[in-house]
Amino acid sequence: MLGATYGLIALGYTMVYGIIQLINFAHGEIFMVGAFGGLTVYRYWLPDSMTTNVWVALPAVLLVAMIVSIAVAVLMERLAYRPLRNAPRLAPLITAIGVSIFLQEAVRLFYPDGKRQQAFPQLISSGTFDVAGVTVPWVSVFVVVVAVALMIGLQVFVKRTKTGKAMRATSQDPESAKLMGIDVDRVIVITFVIGAALAAVAGVMQGMRFAQIDFRIGFISGLKAFTAAVLGGIGNITGAVLGGFLLGIVEAMATQYVPHGSSWKDVWAFVVLIAVLVVRPGGLLGERVATRA
Amino acid sequence: MIKPPALAVAGAAALVAGSMSPWATFAGFPGKMTLAGFPGGARLFALLLAAGALLFALEVGGRRRAALFAAAGAGAVVAVNIVAITDHGGGLGSVAWGAWMAVAGAGALIAAAWRLPADPERRSERGGGEPAPEEWRRLHPALEVAAIAVALSSVLGAVVWGLEIAESSRFISFLVFLVFASVALHYLGVFSALAVLFARHHRMAMLLGAAAAVAFPFTQQGNAYWIRVFASIGVFAVAAIGLNVVVGLAGLLDLGYVAFFGVGAYVGALFSNAALTTTNIHLPFMVVVILGGCIAAVFGLVIGTPTLRLRGDYLAIVTLGFGEIFRITANNWDGLTRGPNGISGVPDLALGGFDFGESHQLFGITLPGFANYYFVELVLIAGAILVFTRLNDSRIGRAWVAIREDELAAAASGIDTIRLKLLAFAIGAFLAGAAGTVNAHVTTQVSPDSYTFLESILLVAAVVLGGMGTVPGALLGSTALFVIPEKLRAFQDKRLLLFGAALILVMRFRPEGLVPSRRRRRELRSEAPEGVPGLAGASGPPPGGPLS
Repeated sequence: MLGATYGLIALGYTMVYGIIQLINFAHGEIFMVGAFGGLTVYRYWLPDSMTTNVWVALPAVLLVAMIVSIAVAVLMERLAYRPLRNAPRLAPLITAIGVSIFLQEAVRLFYPDGKRQQAFPQLISSGTFDVAGVTVPWVSVFVVVVAVALMIGLQVFVKRTKTGKAMRATSQDPESAKLMGIDVDRVIVITFVIGAALAAVAGVMQGMRFAQIDFRIGFISGLKAFTAAVLGGIGNITGAVLGGFLLGIVEAMATQYVPHGSSWKDVWAFVVLIAVLVVRPGGLLGERVATRA
Repeated sequence: MIKPPALAVAGAAALVAGSMSPWATFAGFPGKMTLAGFPGGARLFALLLAAGALLFALEVGGRRRAALFAAAGAGAVVAVNIVAITDHGGGLGSVAWGAWMAVAGAGALIAAAWRLPADPERRSERGGGEPAPEEWRRLHPALEVAAIAVALSSVLGAVVWGLEIAESSRFISFLVFLVFASVALHYLGVFSALAVLFARHHRMAMLLGAAAAVAFPFTQQGNAYWIRVFASIGVFAVAAIGLNVVVGLAGLLDLGYVAFFGVGAYVGALFSNAALTTTNIHLPFMVVVILGGCIAAVFGLVIGTPTLRLRGDYLAIVTLGFGEIFRITANNWDGLTRGPNGISGVPDLALGGFDFGESHQLFGITLPGFANYYFVELVLIAGAILVFTRLNDSRIGRAWVAIREDELAAAASGIDTIRLKLLAFAIGAFLAGAAGTVNAHVTTQVSPDSYTFLESILLVAAVVLGGMGTVPGALLGSTALFVIPEKLRAFQDKRLLLFGAALILVMRFRPEGLVPSRRRRRELRSEAPEGVPGLAGASGPPPGGPLS
């Protein structure tokens, strides 16, 4: 389901924003790059005999997608964002836009036949099952289960582990965190890594659901995921997940029930965003600032 | 050991000899590269830089960086051409000995410049401040004005020269030449001297600048192509100045600014009796321009009212959303906007019997129809500059700066932040809307795909690359962003890739833009490595002298 994908990407936005107050415009591209990484494994690296075996192909695709996304994200942080850590906020924001354009174009130009849509393997059988008269495809079940599991895992990581504690400390006050012996640079890199890994999973899921990807998927998904993050209260992990699911549902409903809804598909996210910001600027779960990660 | 002066002379001699000799072994490469005894094509740029490097190297003291950059520039020009010739002729074998000799010469020059004594640190470079104008010797006023005139006419000359270059490889050489020559001149203090002169003779400089801008169409000998490009730039520049009010002065990042431009364009198309209009209303052009601006301003207020209460980051994303909503609406509202087809057949302007589409004769030079629009845009730009500078120097401008620097503190000092932010938003939208109405006439059609997110980014980039909060920055940024892609047609496919990379690099090495405003520069530079005096000069990017 759409909402799970948005939620996973939104986590990356929300975590990066929580720690360095940067809207990482290029995060959508990390998601896109991850999807392409997964596709590459499937198409070029896996021997043909294994591509049909779910238990080999799926983990391989997910793993490589994550590695590619993480590598790009870490490089991006190191080369583009870290030098601007103390610059005024406009500078990293514009850099992020530059990175986003750069990554899109790099995939378009240098991926084999990258200008066109790429067919993405289904991996999981396209079968469905019925629950109380509703037909549910297995892919959707898988997507939701994975997404929820990852979100719970992340929550536990941030709340229970030492690194998670360091992340929370950094997000509250980087200066003091540094004084307490926390390696802030490392925490920031870890944040980017986690965000990238989640985005990569989202990328593979998106590919499986729509059976195709292209270099443009990152931009609009990223935008909506950001909306989801704001919706839930930016900097808030639970909020991002909630926002993602809500946005997915709103979009699906609007497309379905509003006349000519589908040609306005991409508008709903922004309408919801503006409405939320007007009514409740902090987002749905915005008050609980202490849970920022 | 060879002494630096001797080395420099030897290097320059080698470069000159190399540049006078053929660089390519085959005919057909642009710029007559096979001719001996004649510095054709890009070889001229190498020669000029070599002359500069030699001059700076031989002058005693204080010229190290200028010489270094001039020599490096010469090397870069040769390198670019070697790559181009190799690519063109298929293999290194097609590069003639003259090029290798030039490489050696450039290498020797660089080595010579490297061993020059270091430049004395200028006071202003360390503090990041400005040289006080009184530090500069006053010359006779007429001389100073003449210097401004020379500077402006060389800018015009450089633009015309650059536009005449047809081949990509030579244009890149030209760009390399310009960049390195500017950096070298910058280290000589030429730009800071000019800045002082401009400040001293403010009005005269403005007049001369306007004269240079007006003179441009007359340099094109009736050739419409570049005048047409500049007509597009003019529209873009007005919008960029408007955006500069929003981003540069008030510090509000608007990522959907092109929507206001689009609103203006649709107003222009709908109210001027276009061939495929859906309204059949025809108003005089003057009214349409004002109307377009006002409607865009109303949109600005509508979008700004709920969002300007929020922090800046949200604003960026909401404006982005608004831009998308505008595009999708224009795409879907067939009854008014004719959907994806857009409204075409917007007629040429006609003011008092003067048809803007026709070409005219003036001083024996034919001015194509686009020149008329270009002149109209110059008037608009002048208006926008007036609005911008007057606001910047007023109480409102100072309040904006206060908001940009620290909104809480500004509010605490009694500034009505929301109202002022709304004002900035509305003024920016007005200028964009007015520019949009003119654009409808210039392009004779409006359609939703001209107003995408990328266009908004292009506008932001023009402002940021040029320099936030300054008029010359916005003008320079929009010109560069239009002309360079036009020129690099060979790289059409990779244009956006280069654009993204350029955004990243400029933010990294020159976040204040090409023509920074004084306030902004200080803000950006003082936050660099704090508490480590002198470090900024020792490593990393050059701290740069005073340029504004």
